[in-house]
Order: sequence, then structure tokens, then C-alpha cells
Amino acid sequence: MYEIRFHGRGGQGAVMAAQALAEAAVLEGYYAQAFPYFGAERRGAPVRAFARIDETKISLKSQIYEPDILVILDESLLEIEPVAEGLKSEGSAVINSEKKPEEIDLGVEVQCAAVDATTVALETIKAPIVNTSILGAFAKIQDFVPLESILNAIMNRFGEKLGHQAGVMNTSAAKLAYDRAVVGRTRGTRELVRKKEWLPPWNEIPPGTALAPVNVGGVDIGPGSAWQNFTGTWRTSSPRYIKEKCIRCLRCWFSCPEGCIERQDDDYEKWDYRYCKGCGICAEVCPVQAIEMVRGVMEW
Amino acid sequence: MHMARSEGGDGMNETKQMKSIRDIPRDDYFVRGHGACPGCGVAIAVKNIARMLGPNTTVYVPASCLVVFSALYPTCAWKVPYFYTAFENTGAVIAGIKAAYKRRGKDTVVVGMAGDGGTFDIGLQALSGAADRNDDVIYVCLDNEAYMNTGIQRSGATPFGAWTTTSPIGKKIQGKREFKKDLDAIVAAHGIPYMATLSIAHFNDFVRKVQRAKEVKGFRFLHVLTPCVPGWRSEAAKSVTIAKLAVETGMWTLYEVDQGEEKLTYKPKTMVPVKEYLQLQGRFRHMSEEDITTLQNWVCKKWKEHFYEEIPVPPCELEKGKKDLIVDEDPLHGV
Repeated sequence: MYEIRFHGRGGQGAVMAAQALAEAAVLEGYYAQAFPYFGAERRGAPVRAFARIDETKISLKSQIYEPDILVILDESLLEIEPVAEGLKSEGSAVINSEKKPEEIDLGVEVQCAAVDATTVALETIKAPIVNTSILGAFAKIQDFVPLESILNAIMNRFGEKLGHQAGVMNTSAAKLAYDRAVVGRTRGTRELVRKKEWLPPWNEIPPGTALAPVNVGGVDIGPGSAWQNFTGTWRTSSPRYIKEKCIRCLRCWFSCPEGCIERQDDDYEKWDYRYCKGCGICAEVCPVQAIEMVRGVMEW
Repeated sequence: MHMARSEGGDGMNETKQMKSIRDIPRDDYFVRGHGACPGCGVAIAVKNIARMLGPNTTVYVPASCLVVFSALYPTCAWKVPYFYTAFENTGAVIAGIKAAYKRRGKDTVVVGMAGDGGTFDIGLQALSGAADRNDDVIYVCLDNEAYMNTGIQRSGATPFGAWTTTSPIGKKIQGKREFKKDLDAIVAAHGIPYMATLSIAHFNDFVRKVQRAKEVKGFRFLHVLTPCVPGWRSEAAKSVTIAKLAVETGMWTLYEVDQGEEKLTYKPKTMVPVKEYLQLQGRFRHMSEEDITTLQNWVCKKWKEHFYEEIPVPPCELEKGKKDLIVDEDPLHGV
């Protein structure tokens, strides 16, 4: 049995990728299943999806804790989640990255196909939805589901759901990613990060939902404690502030959904990039183009 | 006891009148790190309302996106007392909270923030009850025109022609067939002291109306149009632009009913064709020319009711080639 775990962000299409892969496996005569897992967070938040492929019927329905293959749709997840946790040492990985596999520190030393899927997706489908490109790279790292079946599955799934044109664009994305993918071995020096969480036993949970602001074991809970969620890791582009052009109209400060724009005493602005989700509203509402969006997670 | 009273009330009355964006206080009571989608209209509205109402506020939110992204137990983005129960009882709960504060001799602003589902459909009876009793509370309806939290289902607020998972695009029927419920008229008919419609793109108007709601006593109703990126199938950066176009096209009218007196607070210079608003949103992408004309006629009728201005021919033509729609039709937000 092959177990594949997808790590992506809401909106990148990890679920569709898992489904398309399962379909490709079925086209090859395997049994397959695919299903997602995500919490209560929204678009941009980390999500996981799973696919199981076997020659016989699959009765296992759990999440995948020890994957054979890891598919990472967003490299920045390595910094915030224990992505490579449980990956078998003889397993392999597919990652959306501009870097070569040898430059990527996954935390485990494994065979890896790396491709700049975001660029491929922007070139072919004109949107940073990397699910189909990453599947193209996936075809390069293993031999049980060949590229043709993956392309057919993408055509079936996307063509049916979004129209023939979308199917064609997505298959060309997969093909291009297959050609561009670089195979090598990752580095394994990284310590897998684990988010500090407050997980009380039943008898320590406060009654009802009444919570006063307190600190439990280094974790803040209760009113105002959301500051610990650094949502800035969600963004794909970053706002750059050109102070010389700013007319201090405060529109960006009003319109920022995160509140990560800080209004200074003199009404000039300052960004708290730890929380900026990169929606681009500030650049859109600015009447004098004093804010521009730059691709990538950056700070100034 | 009398000491607590003087602590609670006096500071608030001294705060100055907020007239423009410049007067909004800098302190956040809805802090960073909440889990809303990038470009969330609700977050923009809520964050600014919280800034303006200040620290002496208690917030109630029924089941909605706002509950999910502002308070994932045990973390919470609110720095003010915050409470949450079931979907249908916003009006009843905020009335109860206010009564409890009154009993304790505290003068606190109690505000309920419900979505359009929790206001137009499920919470309508509790809202009507609170408005009828004229309870001294603020009710904010964050209108994103469908049940977005549960995955985009049609509500009474969904406009004509819009795609939702429960008003899908078929061969015979495309999108919702009914027009948006005129909730503002229903609420205003209760004869409440203050009712206003707000847009996140008309900043000073927004500030002035929240300020007015803060100073009036009795039941106050604020209705905010809050664009929803995954539900409206729009670009994250365009949320404020879309809210602005909603007003310019007449899909959303900015007005208030203050002590029974209806007053328009903003009139667009010229009416922009509704198509310009529709084309920025994937939920309207399927709409036929016939449906667009139907919607335009409805807007013209609404325009006439509000502005007493006849628009003879629906201005439906628009230059082609503007492609602002995104390719995304997955009901699971594309995850």
C-alpha cells in the first residue's frame, strides 16, 4: 500500500490534487481513496489531504501518519508545521520550491522532486493554484502512477468540473512541471517544529466557555490571546510601503482586515508583517500608489 | 458599589465625536492573529466598529464565520468581554446581557454581531422582539449575502441570480430566483430610534453612523455590506472595491432612519451599470443578458424609491475585455 500525504494551504487545491491522484491510480487498475483534513481556519491556513493506493480493497480509513510520499504544495509550511513527521526513511517527497532538492532542509534525508510549481501555475493557468503542477512533479518521483494516467485524471476531474478549457490548461501545467522537476536528495538537519498548544486534561478545562486572560504553561488563553497566531505565514505576496508618496489618508489603516497596519502618532503607517496575510487591499485602496504588492513573503 | 459605577460610566461620555476616519481611536479591541480569509470584509467592519465602540463594550456573536475566526477556544481575538451561544437568538441574548449590566449598575455598550443568515432568516424573530421592546443595545448585521460559514448556502439576503451551493447553475434555472429581502424596511417599520446601512468602502459615512449608533439610546441597527472572498468568488484585493461598486451601482443604498426620519447619506453621482459590479464576482459569472436586465430593472426600481430619480433605460452596456473574474468554482473554497 502506498500512502501519500499532501500539505498545502486553503485555496491551493490540495484536496483536488489528492482526488486527481486517486483517480489516476484507479485508471491504472489500483484501488484508491482520497480525503482532506482541515480545521476551522479559512483560506490560506494550512490544510492536509490524504491518498491511499493499493492493489486490494482498502479498509483503513484513518489519517496518514507514516506516509510513503509527502507532497508539499507550499514550502513555507516547513517553518510552521512538522511536515515531514512520520515520513518513512525509504520514502520520498515532492515539494513546490525554487530551490534544488540538495538545498532543501526537510528534516529527513529522502529522495525528492522539487519544482517551482507557483511559477508553472502562473504561466499556465494564470493563478497560483499549484495542485496540478505538483502532480506533474509527482509523476517523476515514483513509477506506480505514470504521467499519462495523471494527465487523464486531471482532464477528467477538472474538465468535468470547470470546463474543457480548464482541463487543458491544468494538464499543460502538469506536463510543464514534469519537465522542470529536479530530482535529488534533501537535507535532514532541521528539527521538526511543533506548535505549543494548550491541551488540558478533562478536569482542568474551565467550566462553560468563561475564560479570563491567563497564561498556562507559556501559552496565552482567553481574551486577546489570538496574537499568538502569526498569520503572516499565509501570504504569497507582501505589501511594500513607500513612505515618500504617502498622503496619510488612513484608508489602508481602515481597510486592513488583519489590523496589521499600525497608525503612528504622525499618521504615517507601519506594517506588522507577522500577521499580514497579503490580501492586497491596502495597495488597492491607496489613492497615490504608495503601497505595492511584491510576490513572496518579505518584510521591509 | 458606587465606586464601580463611577469607573464604568463617566469616561465614555467624555469621548469626542467621531466624524471622519481620522477620529477613529488607534487602540484595537479586535486583535491581530484572527483566522479570517485574506481580504475578509467582515473583519474590516468588525475591527473598526470595535475600535470606535471602545473598551467599555460587550460583544455577542451567534453562529457565524465571525465566531470561528475570532474565537477558537481557548484563544480569542476579542479584548473585550465576548459571548457566544446559538444561531437564532442574537436579539434575545443582547437584551439579556444589557438587563444584567443594568441590574449591576454598569453602563456598558452591548453589541450583537450576527451574519445575514442569523439576521434575515434564523434570527429574525429575536431581532424583532428586541426591536419591539426597544432594548438599549446595538445590533450589527454583517451581510455577506449567504451562509458563508457552512459553505455558501442561499439566504434571504442573497441577491437575484447569485450562485450558491443551494441555488446552483442548472440548464433551466441559473442561480437564485428571488430578490434580496428588504430587511432594512422591516427593521425600520418597528419604529426603532436608529437604523443605518453601512459600506466598508465609504469610510467617513461608516464612522459617522457608528458614532451616531453609539450615542443614541434604545435599539440601534447597523447593516453592513461585507464582501466575502470565497463566497463571492472574488479577488482578495478587491473586497473594498466591490463594496464601493455595490453603492455606485445602486445594489446597496447608504441611508439611515434616525428617530423615524429617513435620510439618504450618500448619492452616487451617476448610476453605474450593475454589470460592472457583477463582473468582479464569480458568483454572477453565469448570468444571462436577460437575467442581468431583470436585476438592472430591480435596481432601477430601488433607485427610484430612494432617490426619486427615474432611470428610463437600464444602462446595461459595458465595454468588454475587462477580465477580473477568477477561475474557481470549487464549493470547498478550493482547499
